[in-house]
Amino acid sequence: MRVSFAWLSEFIKTGLSVEKIAHMLTMSGLEVEALEAALNDVILEVNVTPNRADCLSVLGVVRELSVLTGEPVILPSSVIKSKEENEKDLLPEIKVEIRNAELCRRYSGRVIRNVKIGPSPEWMAKRLEDYGIRSINNIVDITNYVLVELGHPLHAFDLKTLKGGRIVVDTADNIYRKIKTLDGVERKLPENALVIADAEDPIALAGIMGGASTEVEESTTDIFLEAAWFEPVNIRKTAKALGLSSESSYRFERGADIEIIPFALDRASYLMQEYAGGVPHKAVDVFPGKKIPRAIEVNAQRVSKLLGTDIQKDEIIKILERLGFAPKWNDSLITVFPPSYRLDVEAEQDIVEEVARIYGYDKIPTILPVSRLSAREAPLRSNFIKDARQNIRRSGYNEAINFSFMNPQAFELLSLNDDDIRRSAVALINPLNQEESLLRTTLLPALIENQKHNLQRGLRNIRLAETARIFIKRNTGELPIEHLMLAGISMMNRTYSFWRNGTEDFYCAKGAVEALLDEFRIRDRSFGPCGEPFLHPGKSADVMVSGQRCGFVGVLSPTVREKAEIKGKEDITVFELNLDVIFAALPGIPVYRSIPRFPAVERDIALIVDESVNAAQVIRKIKEYPSELIENAVVFDLYKGEGIPAGKKSMAFNVRYRATGKTLTEEEVEQIHEGLIKDLLVHTGGSLR
Amino acid sequence: MGGEKAKNSSLREPFLNELSPVDSVAGLEELRVRYLGKKGLLTSELKSLGGLPPDERRAAGAVLNETKEFIEQALAQRKQELKDLELRRKLASESIDVTLPGSYVQPGRIHPLTQTLEEITDVFVSMGFSVEEGPEVELDYYNFEALNIPKEHPAREMQDTFYVSNDIVLRTHTSPVQIRVMQRKSPPLKFIAPGKVYRCDADISHTPMFHQIEGLMVGEDITFSHLKAVLESFLHRIFSPDVPVRFRPSYFPFTEPSAEVDIGCIFCKGTGCRTCKGSGWIEILGAGMVNPHVFEMVGYDPKKYSGFAFGMGIERIAMLKYSIDDIRLFYENDIRFLGQF
Repeated sequence: MRVSFAWLSEFIKTGLSVEKIAHMLTMSGLEVEALEAALNDVILEVNVTPNRADCLSVLGVVRELSVLTGEPVILPSSVIKSKEENEKDLLPEIKVEIRNAELCRRYSGRVIRNVKIGPSPEWMAKRLEDYGIRSINNIVDITNYVLVELGHPLHAFDLKTLKGGRIVVDTADNIYRKIKTLDGVERKLPENALVIADAEDPIALAGIMGGASTEVEESTTDIFLEAAWFEPVNIRKTAKALGLSSESSYRFERGADIEIIPFALDRASYLMQEYAGGVPHKAVDVFPGKKIPRAIEVNAQRVSKLLGTDIQKDEIIKILERLGFAPKWNDSLITVFPPSYRLDVEAEQDIVEEVARIYGYDKIPTILPVSRLSAREAPLRSNFIKDARQNIRRSGYNEAINFSFMNPQAFELLSLNDDDIRRSAVALINPLNQEESLLRTTLLPALIENQKHNLQRGLRNIRLAETARIFIKRNTGELPIEHLMLAGISMMNRTYSFWRNGTEDFYCAKGAVEALLDEFRIRDRSFGPCGEPFLHPGKSADVMVSGQRCGFVGVLSPTVREKAEIKGKEDITVFELNLDVIFAALPGIPVYRSIPRFPAVERDIALIVDESVNAAQVIRKIKEYPSELIENAVVFDLYKGEGIPAGKKSMAFNVRYRATGKTLTEEEVEQIHEGLIKDLLVHTGGSLR
Repeated sequence: MGGEKAKNSSLREPFLNELSPVDSVAGLEELRVRYLGKKGLLTSELKSLGGLPPDERRAAGAVLNETKEFIEQALAQRKQELKDLELRRKLASESIDVTLPGSYVQPGRIHPLTQTLEEITDVFVSMGFSVEEGPEVELDYYNFEALNIPKEHPAREMQDTFYVSNDIVLRTHTSPVQIRVMQRKSPPLKFIAPGKVYRCDADISHTPMFHQIEGLMVGEDITFSHLKAVLESFLHRIFSPDVPVRFRPSYFPFTEPSAEVDIGCIFCKGTGCRTCKGSGWIEILGAGMVNPHVFEMVGYDPKKYSGFAFGMGIERIAMLKYSIDDIRLFYENDIRFLGQF
């Protein structure tokens, strides 16, 4: 809210500079975000928190300053000339009927005759414009001026358009269906919207905006000036339903001061009399919702205990008195009666806060708490995530962070099948745009975008990995399933790297996945056939952990590259792993097995087999061979080409034999090895090279 | 004696003369055979000792043996020298360009937001706080209502919310984790909850997704002065031990009293600059004493327990820490940006 320093200074004489005042306000909860120079004035940009509706006016800020400085508030003039004479002659001409006293606890107003519509005085127009309200004419400007000055919204109706001399306050129902508001828009009235009607039609959306039919115009001579109180939640609901917000609704939905109504009405009447030549008539004031002031109890000891300071009861009482809370006390129990404008003060904690902020947060000491030690909860999961990130980083991947949103076109980009679980995406009701209208079910589309972004900037050797949640929709009303995923993308250009590593890109990506699983000592893992529609069918694998599918690794299919418009010859490899699956498969504390005491004997086998036979099959066969002496087997060479028939390949394996209780002899090893070779030839259909 | 000495020198001298030009192990062997071989010069002289009278023989034998030892040692020493020389030559011929790059997988970097988040987490973990998680897609109840923000509350306007349905939202802050943890555990407790949060807001200084860390400490005698001390000590650790910290009243529906916490501007040291908009202070986090309404919502006795909560945006802290001037850089994932941290 923009507050004029000159205006404010009319209502309180502090003798302080605007900077000093800004600091005082900031340190007591009314943050002054900026000071802006204006003609013969300084504008304070005040951030009023939603609880402090009472500060949404010049008077409100002045009241706050009065509490802080002890200087009195000087109220502006509201004396209506020859008021008695007017009242003697004229009875209230408008009959007010409140049909819903919950939503309208007070309705006041008065007729003002003989107004001359014209421009407002320059100073008034300037103050309104400095605040941010456009000057319209003297009558409308005066209602706005009082709104900014006292914080209470008012509305002026053209009296001649008011039918039947009646004001009815009621919720919209079958009688009142729609209204054309001042902004010229015809609006259907939402259910339970509170309206002001005359004898026939709705003439205003209560507390939000007036109706076009009763608008004050140049031809207006008599007006009916309204000052009322409307219930906050109802105003807010209606404003929200209509997507309509005004200075008036902003104040009513935060809570207006019901007791200031007569003063606000008189103040505006005074200004209309002074600056529009109007003659104010007798006011009408219907007040069915009068309430006795709330009493709130607060224990002085509790205040100092909660704040952690030894603030004395006397000081608390002094602060409460300055706040106008009318404290009464009995021992340490203090009872307060907050003023009508402090709707936010309802309970003991509110009083504690009031005392604390006026006392000054800076005066409360800083004391570190004493707390019971506990090592009960190890940060297992957060450490796991941290380790996963670090591991993938060491494999060369930069960590990326993308928004959790997804473009619905991602399904097509990845050619996902109709029944793919990743099509079960959560949709936002109010997305920022269509491209960000779903929540991610896979991290790939964003990483593909990132890859593109970098390539378009002429960068190469781009490896990115992201750790983030995906969201899978469940039944309506249920929260989606959230899985923590780790995905990576890599496109390596070796042309300009000095050591041209000849390893296929697929194996580099797979290596990163294996390094990650090694990090967590996950031995029960395998790589099997993969049916992901967005991967190269011959260069992709599912990653299985403890028998469960944990994700995939592979080369992005040419179709996806084409759709994503990614150029370049190099393979793009991707992987995506479900970290929740890995976390669940984490092995416990390792159980030590004694280090072998006797030496091992190693033998190599080179097999020529069909290309369709893969290394994992051969190794499995070796390990399945019925001999306890086979300790391990690894593949160490793969060869195709000269000397090997077409459609065949040569693979070389190293087998390690060891006995637990003795040193193996050459003969013993030879015997088993011969048997193993025969077995392998039978099972693989291969031959020795 | 004189004659014997002369005889001895006559072998040493020529041997040394012959030794000096030898430049290979093979040449050395030749020399050895020439002197010490079966028909070598020294061997022949040893053989001829037999013709001398016994007393002369002993003396002459001793001299010859000494010479033999001398020759053997000289040969061995020379052999070692030649071997060393050869090795040096071999190694010299194997020289490579040590300025060529080494072969390794260049490690990637951790995103600056993650680094900041982990640094903050570590500070609180070192103070005994545990780490909790909660869902990012959250029930309206946890995100708002249980935090004392009923529907139609003006405070909802403080946070532009993404809706999934009437009752389901993308969490607008990490505060719902407070409620979920308090429902599950009984006091005393102290934890932090880092994570992603969402608000439908995108402009030069806002992204629709950003990161927060929430913290909560609840016990029987937790006070506002504890809140001040914990946060002050945290800020001193993250920024610098002498950075000024100030607390000023503010409003959050789920805390009361509430505070905004500012640090003295780390760029201008309080004199006023663009970053702090001339105020000399930078708003860094929000905090407050847990509102008793919130305790009632989770079934804690507000008469018995008190606590404080705080929350901070990670982007802002990371921007200050690394002097990053545009929040959107965090989400472009340009490797020239990521590679710097």
